[in-house]
Formats: sequence, structure tokens, C-alpha cells
Amino acid sequence: MSHSLNEIEAMSKRAARGSGMSWGLAEEAAKGTRWLSAFGFSGSELLADFLEMNDRIPPIDVSPVSLVAEIWHAPAHRMSPLIAGAALSDCAQRLLSRGTITMENVNFPLLAVPFMGGAALRLGVPVSAEWQGARLATDGQRLCVQATDEALQARVADRVVFSAPAEMTGRHEPVMRADVPDDAWARLGVFAHRTYAPATEESRLRGAGAGLTDND
Amino acid sequence: MTDISCRDPNLVMRLARLGSMHQSRLSFMRILTRRMARENWRFEQTAFEIDAAGVGHAVYTAHGPARSYSLIAYAHDLPPEKRSDRVIAEAWDATFTLFDGVPTAEDIERLSKNIPVQEAGRVTGSELSVSRANRSVRLWEHVVSELAEGHQPSVEKIDAVGYLMRTTAVYGSGKLGAADREMIADRPEFQAPFQVEMLSVYLTRWFVTDLVQYMADTRAQSNGAQAARLAPDIARMMGIGNSTGLGMAPFLLNHPVLFNNWMAARERAIQAVRSVQRASDSEIALFHELITRSKVTVDTWKSEHPIQIEKLSALTKDVTQVTTWLDSNDLKGDHPWDALYRWAEETLSLEGQEWIASLVLEPYGPLIDAFAEGMAADNTATFRIAGAMKVGDLRSALTDIYSWALDTDWAAPENKARAWYVSEEKLEPRLGERFEEPIEEYEQPLAPGRDAAALFQALAHWPDDTQVADFLLRHPEHRHTLRRAQIVGRAPYAEIRDNTISDRVLPIDMLRCKLSFFGATKFDPRSDRWVRICMYGNAPLPYELTSENADYWVFPDTPEAAA
Repeated sequence: MSHSLNEIEAMSKRAARGSGMSWGLAEEAAKGTRWLSAFGFSGSELLADFLEMNDRIPPIDVSPVSLVAEIWHAPAHRMSPLIAGAALSDCAQRLLSRGTITMENVNFPLLAVPFMGGAALRLGVPVSAEWQGARLATDGQRLCVQATDEALQARVADRVVFSAPAEMTGRHEPVMRADVPDDAWARLGVFAHRTYAPATEESRLRGAGAGLTDND
Repeated sequence: MTDISCRDPNLVMRLARLGSMHQSRLSFMRILTRRMARENWRFEQTAFEIDAAGVGHAVYTAHGPARSYSLIAYAHDLPPEKRSDRVIAEAWDATFTLFDGVPTAEDIERLSKNIPVQEAGRVTGSELSVSRANRSVRLWEHVVSELAEGHQPSVEKIDAVGYLMRTTAVYGSGKLGAADREMIADRPEFQAPFQVEMLSVYLTRWFVTDLVQYMADTRAQSNGAQAARLAPDIARMMGIGNSTGLGMAPFLLNHPVLFNNWMAARERAIQAVRSVQRASDSEIALFHELITRSKVTVDTWKSEHPIQIEKLSALTKDVTQVTTWLDSNDLKGDHPWDALYRWAEETLSLEGQEWIASLVLEPYGPLIDAFAEGMAADNTATFRIAGAMKVGDLRSALTDIYSWALDTDWAAPENKARAWYVSEEKLEPRLGERFEEPIEEYEQPLAPGRDAAALFQALAHWPDDTQVADFLLRHPEHRHTLRRAQIVGRAPYAEIRDNTISDRVLPIDMLRCKLSFFGATKFDPRSDRWVRICMYGNAPLPYELTSENADYWVFPDTPEAAA
């Protein structure tokens, strides 16, 4: 079904929160899913797959151990692309001074790509990511993709290398609508539902505070 | 020479003051009517296919210089027991969409299956908004029956309600599949915030006056009589009501940059006018005229809610004091508006202070109207956290922005008595009692003060020169609040500097603030979290709109002027 990008962002935020992420990370997941959707990727499906994989896993287990390490790795040997991506965006300046940041065992590496967009905007230079022969580069506004579908949909990449400054070749402009398969939407909905309080008569009356008659 | 600065966010961004704000030149309705008049927009009704029971559809098209927009209205026959302003309602008297362009018969047919069911339907990128409205039972029947009997309706009764229909939600920005704001943000007519929604309501008001006339004509005909034509002066008095609950309150917290841009535009305008060294005779005369006309609004502003009754009585007193002050101050001295504002800040209630703050802007369109251009927001640039910021700098930012929160005892139950949550029923936002209901695990991040205090505490043992990126790696739970603090550091009016979860919080303060930017008048709280307002009351109907009446319509003519 055709969805607006705002709908995708709102659903993704709730779903990420429902999977146990902090609000701040849920916001990152939502912006990232929106960004991927705007470039024609099935961001919602990838996010649903990832949330099912990491449902309610403690973030510390799938976060980089250190941001100054030569190679970023996670204690559980499986890196969350959202946590690592957010950290990459936070470390934009360090990325530029180091030239590259390499991460190991990253799940769903495509989900980390939107954070390069953030870093590129902050730095004012393009940033690229490479894994399994795939290369994506962005200046924040446009995206260059040279990759097989297999790499784009990989559930794990042994090694992802982010570089800045990077070169832009062959540009995709973002689009404004996205088609989300009903199944992916429903799977996100299961996570999102966890954030809704069950409706009770009391909350219906008190919580919304419609005290006086509203039919006059 | 005094250098007048913008008002301190620590003064402005308190809930009691935000809940006392009034419409101004920078209100979104007035930005829209000024533009449409300036650009000679043309308006036409292109369909009105409604049966004797009041069921069918109508189309109203607004033609701008480059593009046209059409309100498609669906009218329904709603049993009284189904009429509810609550978000959880499932049927309405009328439902609407603003269509991008001129709809075909297929569009109207497709939308007739989706718009009448609102949240249960789906729309596409061709639709810019989805909304619904219910009749005012009090006024609708009175107007239909009077007209059907050949009389004009009672002006007193119209004054008491203010509108024939009230909208209970106007959804834009991609809701239900509609076009994202980003799809249309580069069109000049939608550059200012909420112009789609304001246009939709403006055309809705026209439809409603047509519908009430049609229903009166139909009733008269069935009695073998002819109905009276609703007098244009009376039609103009009626606005569109709006009934707004908690759904709107989190908006200001969830869109900090946008909120900052609204507030900053108004504060810069106030600063610019206070900095005017001398007022011309015509500026002074216009101000006096609008004070007089504004008194009519205050006099006819009714509320049954104890909080608003008290505020209105203070405002009435303030109006008298302002009149007395103006008797002895001719505004011909140095920095007259600054003098008036300073006096108001020392003397009047918050209602009166904000009333004056908005009113002094009126004579200065050329000086301040351009501030409206900065009221929209693109969040992309501000969303990213600056991870290289030092912990010491973050600490001092928190101390500056959230000093009130750092001084609050967050262990005291009364300071966090409430929690914001989303109910699974139509995803309705609600405010519950943290210690009495099982809602805490569903709490939304809408208590920035409490969360900032928690962040401050978590930072206590981190060295000043650490980068916040390293702190966030260990503490993802503070990521939301740290982002917020960085935003407010750049956008000082982005944050409500007050407790949004205390046992004394009044969500209507947030609703009123937002609605005042829309240009709403006659705020009438129905509870501490539910408010009714009037939009476009006194405005020219679309086919009456000219440059002469596009700006000051919000101020009713005084009885003497009308006579």
C-alpha cells in the first residue's frame, strides 16, 4: 500500500520503541527508515526484520565497545546497525579526521546507511559505506548505489567500512511516496502496539478529560 | 537610547503565559487571507449534489496564481446519539478533504468511500488534508427553522455559539496517506505553517453557510413556503468552531524547532515594534480603533469553565485599565509601544499582557509581516546530535535552559503526578494519574523538565572534556533529552520551560498557545484538557475577500460603526 513518509516515520518510531529501544534511538530508527523509504528501499521491511531479530535485547550487548577502537565491535559479536549508526553520526568529526571507521559483524548494514547522510550533512562532504562488494555514498541529499540486492538485504556483514570524504557517482534523488508491503506494516504494528495502553472506561473518561457534554 | 531585546524565554515559555496568548498579525489564518487577497484568488462552487435529507457532496475550488485547490465536502445524516467531538467517534455530520487541483468524478467517487470514515479510510498524495465537523445542535436547528419561516436568525443566539459547525480534527502532513508536507512545502502559498489546514477550514465555512441555506430552503418548500436568504452580515458573524482535546497538546513538545520558529517570529515582531521610536498619527489612530473593536471580542467571549471565567474577569479589568492608561498617554512620546508594554507587564494579568503584546503589532504590517516567512521548519538539520560537544558545555546548557527543573524535587509525587500515554483506542493521546493507573510503562517522552534533570544527574560524575558521543554510547536512554537540549541551545523558544506532568498542569494552556497561532478566538475550555474555539469569525466569505477586508476582519465592527 502507498504510504506517506510521515506515516512510515511515525510507525517506525513506535515499533522501535515497542521493541525496547530508548526513545532517542527509536527516533533515529524512524528517521532512518523514512530516509531509506524516500530512496526507494524497503526500509519498513528491513526494520521489521531487524526488530524481530533483536527484540528486547539489552542495547549494551549490541553496541560498539569503544568509539576510539581501531575496529568497532560489539560484545555479543553482533552490532546493531541503529546503535552503531547513531554512534557514527555522533562521531562525524572523528570519522573525517580518521578517514575511515570500520565495524565488524553488523546486522542489516543497510539500516546504518541513513546515518551517513546525517554525518555527511554535518561534515559538508560525502560519506560512503562498503560491504560485500556493495558501495553506497551520500552527501545527505542524494544517494549513489552500486550493490547487488543480496548485499543490500544482507542480514549480517562481516565488515562495513565507512569513509569520509567519499566520491559521489551516479545519483539517486529522493522520492516522496513509498510502497510498504502489508505484511511488513503489520509486523511493525505488532511492535508498535506494545506502546499503547489498553483502553479502559476510566481512561476513556478521565484520560481524555471530555468532562462536559460534547453534543450541543 | 535603549536597546530593546526579545523577551527572555524563561519569562515567555511558562505554561500560564503560553495559555494566555492571543491571535496576532502573524496568525496562520490571517497570513492566508492576506495572501489570497493580494494574489486575487478566485473561488467557485463547482458541485452541490445534496438531497433533501442533507446527504451528498459538494466541491469548492480556490484558484491561486499557479495552482487550484478543491474542498470536497461529504454531507451525512447523522443520528444524534452518534454525534461526538471525541477522537474515538466514528461518524460525523460532514467530512472533508482538501484536494490538490480539481477532482474528477472518479476522485470524488474514490474519496466518497474513504473520507466519510476518516481514520478508517485511506487517501493518496493527491489529498492534502482530511477533516470532519459536527453541527452545533444549539445553533443549527435555530438557523434552519428561522430561515425556513422567513426570518433571520437571532444575532444573540449566534453570538452565544459563534459557529454552525465545529471541526473535531483537521489532519494534514501525510496523515492517513495524504501528501507529506515535504511534497508541497516549496509552494509559496504553503510556505507558512498550516496553510493547507487553514484553507480547508476557510472553504468549509463557505460550504456550511450554503448547506444551512439549502436545508432551510428545502424545509420551506416542503411547507409550500419560501425561506429567507441568510443576511450576509449575519453569515459573516459565524465562524467555524473547533473542538480540540489532548491530541494537540503533545504537538508543541514533539515539534520543538517549529514551535521555536512560531514563538521567535512573534517575539521578534514584539521587539521590532517596541523598538519603534515614534508612532505616526495614523498608526496611533489604527491602534485606538482596534482596541475598541477588540473590546467587542472580549465582551462577547463566554465560557462556563471556572478557570476561563476568572481569566476573562481579569482581562475585562485589564481592558478598563488600558483604556484609562490610554486616556492619559497619547503614544506620541519616545518609544511609545515599549512604554505601553512595560506598563502592561507591571500592571496587567497575563491575559492582558499578551493581549497588548499582540495588539501593538497591528499597525506595523510592513515592519513585521515578513517574520511569517521564518515560521516553518525543516527539522533535518537540527535532528542530528553534535557528538563532539563537551560534557561541560552540555552541563552549562542544561543549567541555563532547565534551571527550574533542576530546582524541582522530582521525588515528590505531586511534581510527577501525571503521565502522558497513547491509548490503543484510535491511538488517542491521554493524560493519566501515574500513581493510580497502570500507565507508566506506556509513558510518552513529554516531560522534558524531569528528563533533563535526570540527564543532569547522570552526567554528574563525567569529566567536563568528554565528548557527549561517548556518554551516549553508555546511556542511550538519555539520547532523546540530550538532542532536545542541543536543539534548545540553538532555538531558545523551542522548550516549554515548565512542568508538563505535575498535579497542577493544565493541558489547555498548550492547546490555547497552538490555537492562538492558528488565529483562533473565544477560547472556551470544556475541562482542563479540552477546549472549543472559533475560527474565521467575522471573516469575509471567500467570494467577498478583498485587500480591504483581508487583514482586520478578526476585529468585529463596533455597534456604532455598523450602525
